[in-house]
Amino acid sequence: MQGIILFASLTSTYLMVIAKRTPALIRSFRYQSFCLFLLTFSIALEERRMDLYIIAGLLLVIKVFLIPQLLYRIIKRINANEDLGLFINPQLSLLWALGFTYLSWIFTAYLIVPSNQAQASILAIAFFIVLAGIFLMIFRMTALAQVIGLLVMENGLFLLASTVSGGMPFFVEIAIFFDVFVSVLIMGFFVYRISRLFTHIDVNKLSRLKG
Amino acid sequence: MEIFLILGIPALLSIAALSFGKRKAFGVINSIGYLAVLSAGIFLAKKVIFSGCTYSFFGFIYLDALSAFFIFVISVVSFAASLYSIGYIKRDIRGAIISEEKAKIYYVLFNLFCLSMFFVPAVNNLGMLWVAIEMTTLVSAFLVGFYNTKKSVEAAWKYIIICSVGIIFALLGTILFSYAFSIAGLSKSLNWSDIAPVAHILDKNILKIAFIFILVGYGTKAGLAPMHTWLPDAHSQAVAPISALLSGVLLKTAIYAILRFGIITIKGVGFAYFSHLMILFGIISLVISCCFILVQKDLKRLLAYSSIEHIGIISIGFGLGTPLAIAGSLLHVFNHAVTKSLMFFGAGNIVHAYKKHNMNAIRGVIKALPFTGIMVLAGCFALTGFPPFSIFISELLIIIASFVNGSYLVAASLLLFLAVIFGAFIYHFGRMLFGNLPKGMAVAGEPLSGKLAFLFLFFQICAVGIILVFVKKDLLWITERLFRG
Repeated sequence: MQGIILFASLTSTYLMVIAKRTPALIRSFRYQSFCLFLLTFSIALEERRMDLYIIAGLLLVIKVFLIPQLLYRIIKRINANEDLGLFINPQLSLLWALGFTYLSWIFTAYLIVPSNQAQASILAIAFFIVLAGIFLMIFRMTALAQVIGLLVMENGLFLLASTVSGGMPFFVEIAIFFDVFVSVLIMGFFVYRISRLFTHIDVNKLSRLKG
Repeated sequence: MEIFLILGIPALLSIAALSFGKRKAFGVINSIGYLAVLSAGIFLAKKVIFSGCTYSFFGFIYLDALSAFFIFVISVVSFAASLYSIGYIKRDIRGAIISEEKAKIYYVLFNLFCLSMFFVPAVNNLGMLWVAIEMTTLVSAFLVGFYNTKKSVEAAWKYIIICSVGIIFALLGTILFSYAFSIAGLSKSLNWSDIAPVAHILDKNILKIAFIFILVGYGTKAGLAPMHTWLPDAHSQAVAPISALLSGVLLKTAIYAILRFGIITIKGVGFAYFSHLMILFGIISLVISCCFILVQKDLKRLLAYSSIEHIGIISIGFGLGTPLAIAGSLLHVFNHAVTKSLMFFGAGNIVHAYKKHNMNAIRGVIKALPFTGIMVLAGCFALTGFPPFSIFISELLIIIASFVNGSYLVAASLLLFLAVIFGAFIYHFGRMLFGNLPKGMAVAGEPLSGKLAFLFLFFQICAVGIILVFVKKDLLWITERLFRG
């Protein structure tokens, strides 16, 4: 069961890497968050832990519903071009993503004892998601894509934390959720401001400050 | 007890600012509040240094000498910034640059920003430490983009994105630390007071990788080159008192976080690993900042690059790691905080009077703003490490320590870059401070509160420089306690 969920989250990350338009990116982000929710929920069912139920609930509310909804609303309000502005076309991005998958597997093998196969695959996928987030932030030009890239990185870290070290302490986890939510609100505010002042959200053209 | 005052007063003031922030007297109330915070900070430092570390609030808050020291530094600079804000904000309202509504928002954000910074050294849990540092970024992004011009919004965007990515790496490092802790067969916890005593049994490989992530992550926030790219933009576009806070203490809170994880790494992996990394990043920061200082045209960016330089010096000092070097570094944290705040206040007044950041257009500051001019002149010498000011002492301690340690290469490069930067600073500021006034430039008065802030900081710069010559022994004693903690 967990294997299928992990595979689904891997697939959704690949979808993000090859997405051309912002709504598609947000949709895949929603799928990815939903996979994380299922994973946390299944662990909670297995171990019968109250705190994991709460965390799964928060994941569902914040990352599956609130944040994507917020991002959709921002797109609507700023009326911007929905193209992501790719530096690298989807085919090449796919190649990069394959490379990242391999890289994270090697890194995982270095980090933990090879006997534990299940944990190793989760760890590798988590690192891959983090790398994919960095990739999105660097090679997509719009400000919104950067916000989503950051969220993807955070999702990867959530996967890492929840499975590898048995999760962060409960109240830290809650604080991080709160923090992520607030940061998306604030970044959304700034995206809105950028689009009003510059009439575009192409971060590549933000180059007034130099030297 | 004192810690509740320190955390409570900014929280109360931010709520008060919501309702009374528009009143003219609020600035004064604000700085009275920070005076109380400062005195609580002094009491706290005294208590912790003489009677050891304390827990409070169910172990959520943990204070040892290191955190008390950083709290003290934050309280000094935030008091000075609150004093300076009174006149600065009033002048902006009068000049119709900002509305009264905006002044209210300024005071709310100012207090929230200080609150989040006070949280960083106070919390026990390393995960909460991360949350507190991320909070400082989120709150101060508004203060960087406060004037809502194209440049300031661009700076705020770069600041929030680069620092958030950096801090995500720090979270990865934190998770790896907790992973190392959990595979050692210990119960799940991220409390510093639980991890530090057992650091020596943690897995070495994982600690090494985790510390790299921590150093890159929090190093981004600390402004260590080559992750410094947000820093000159944010510092040059922020409101002047906030530039002082950013440069004076925000960078130091990130250094504090690096130190906390560094102590665990030293205990687990050995000292050489930590030392090499810190010295490497320190030297890179010195080289890069030196190049940019030489060719700089913008006054506030010049000061921002100088912050990178000083962060580099601090990190080299911690990297050397002998008690002498650590004493030098900690002192440098304090000295740089007060001196750089003074310079940013001065730069704020100059930019306001000339309406320009470009140093080629600023001439004859001493004639236009006599008080600010003299203070900036003194501050310029202090910042570049001229005796009898305090930075001279701390830089000297670090250089002596590197000679004693046998790291001649480090000492030589420190001396070389300090000399070059000294020359560049004297050249830039000499041209700005002296010379003829531009045409049509009137001699303007300066607000009293601004002057008080200058005098307060100037007193600290001189007093620390002179007193420290006499109390070397106490200093070493205190540092040793810090080192053990």
